[in-house]
Amino acid sequence: MIGKVSPKLKEQFGKLIDRRLMASLEACVRCGICAESCHYYQADPKPENTPFFRAEQVRSVYRSMFDPIGKIAPRWVGATPPTQERMKELTDMAFMNCTLCRRCTVNCPFGVDTAAIMRSVRAVASANGDAPEILTQLADASLAREEGMEMFKDIYLEQIDMLEEELRDLSGDPEARIPVEVENVDVLYVALSGAHTILPAARLFHETGTDWCLSMFEAANYGLFVADTPKAKKITDRIVKEAKRLNAKRVVVTDCGHAYTTLRWEAPNWYGEPFPFEVTSLIELLAEWVTDGTLEVDPSANPDSITYHDSCNLGRVSGLIEQPRTILRAVCEDFRDMTPSGENNYCCGGGGGLVAIAEATDIRIKAGKPKADQIKATGAMFVAASCDNCQIQLGEIATNYRLGTQITGLPELVLNALIPKRRPGVDANTQLVAGD
Amino acid sequence: MTILEISGVTILAIGLVLLLVGIAGNLRSTNRRAFRIDVAPYRGSAARGVVYAFSLGMAPWAKESTRRHLIAYVRGIVFHAGVFGSLAVLIASPWIWQLNSEIRILIAAVLGVGSVAALGGFWIRFREEALRRVSTPDDYFSLGLVTVFIAIAAVACVIESVMPAFWIVSGVVLGYLPVSKLKHSIYFFYTRFQFGTFFGHRGVLKFSRRAS
Repeated sequence: MIGKVSPKLKEQFGKLIDRRLMASLEACVRCGICAESCHYYQADPKPENTPFFRAEQVRSVYRSMFDPIGKIAPRWVGATPPTQERMKELTDMAFMNCTLCRRCTVNCPFGVDTAAIMRSVRAVASANGDAPEILTQLADASLAREEGMEMFKDIYLEQIDMLEEELRDLSGDPEARIPVEVENVDVLYVALSGAHTILPAARLFHETGTDWCLSMFEAANYGLFVADTPKAKKITDRIVKEAKRLNAKRVVVTDCGHAYTTLRWEAPNWYGEPFPFEVTSLIELLAEWVTDGTLEVDPSANPDSITYHDSCNLGRVSGLIEQPRTILRAVCEDFRDMTPSGENNYCCGGGGGLVAIAEATDIRIKAGKPKADQIKATGAMFVAASCDNCQIQLGEIATNYRLGTQITGLPELVLNALIPKRRPGVDANTQLVAGD
Repeated sequence: MTILEISGVTILAIGLVLLLVGIAGNLRSTNRRAFRIDVAPYRGSAARGVVYAFSLGMAPWAKESTRRHLIAYVRGIVFHAGVFGSLAVLIASPWIWQLNSEIRILIAAVLGVGSVAALGGFWIRFREEALRRVSTPDDYFSLGLVTVFIAIAAVACVIESVMPAFWIVSGVVLGYLPVSKLKHSIYFFYTRFQFGTFFGHRGVLKFSRRAS
């Protein structure tokens, strides 16, 4: 018989098991076919880096709690009790050795969702206060911002005033504005902390005459990374309430993989109904604009070779695969796709919140090797990415693997190619790695 | 009927009952879990995603992993064809001797290939360190049991006296299925369905994108 299982742990884990997760826990036959689909394994081919090996560590604990044979004859089915040491190992694995990219899922003959399995471990760790501190702090900081809104609002508006000055300089229009709190607005734009996701979008909204305003809150949602759904919902709720209060028709999320996935796909399920507004990525909007001629662009402004890195959250998880390519083909002369790409793209190694975890730096740089090889194979001088975390990671792997490539975002490239109001303010030939 | 035949039929009947009870138990414990419907507005078609998941998505060329492990994947297909063939032989066993010997020899040959493919599973498991480390006694026993099931089905097609032994092995396989690794045959349908709905709804699968 197996050692006594903590009722609290069993309850916590049990609550997380829905049909999707249960099927993924039960279906794997350990055929091993998924091994090379993982960028960790590609970078360092050892058993611990295969998706099936990692998921099996969770399954062994699951069997000890929920499988009848696992309780009676644990060795027969490889059930192991969830001791503290065991849970610590699983927590480290779920946060550090899996970026929840789902590449193994699309490559599994069964479609086993290993990311869902790892997320369940993250959720249990969060519930017990064992998630990486920095991720929890970042999630809490988002909530603190809302709670101290009165104090924070004035500072924020002052910063927006300064950005407006910059926008006027860049656009050459003294009337250019970064509006906030506009009722019945067409577009509520949700950026990240920092000017780098506000200014380029503001310029594009200005150029297109879009009826827009900037959200008072940032798009990032670290509640998703720590798999703390109530917290993630609270963070999302700030934006949802704002959009409803302003009666916004469309919420446009900046270049951020997890923020888009959260608001576009996950959050409606937490509320149990679709939102009364449309949720779009800035990338979708840009693709629309370059396709329908709202934005006139000159690809000769971006003559250098450029490739595109699909953020896992935007591509494989959200289906934004064609849109970035539509933009790049329109605004660049020499776009070269990576192999593989789209739903088969390799994670850059920085997903799942890893970029924020200092202790994960060596692991993620190592796991970024397949991406570095992919970039190198294209021979491109620039790598475009539509996710802030990906851009940070790509910048670091470009340096570490001496790729000689520079990282940029899609809005910057669009601005560079813009006709007729093109200005010299933003130049794609500078490294535009997003900071905080 | 001989004692062996009576034993075979009895064990088979017990196995069948255990199978049905076990499947019902597995379905009950799974369906009691929350079924999360994706309420976010769709980008693609979940239905088309499911169709893809159970058709072209299973093709050897559909995934990078199966292209890379083509031999292993084809081995799996042949192995499972052997399993389904053996089940067909089991269902047809009361009447199989009405078929002429050439057809029975052909079926036996196909199942023989299936059982060799099943044996190959041991080789893969022994050869790869990662698989060795995660393999449980249940994995080996399940694989061995099914290998014997297919092999004995092949023999039973040509040697009538082996049929009762085939029924006994079949009874053990059926009874063991719901409590072992073999229950992946139940959960396969769940995971593929969920794969199709998830990636189809979100328009990730090319096949599902056009529908919306």
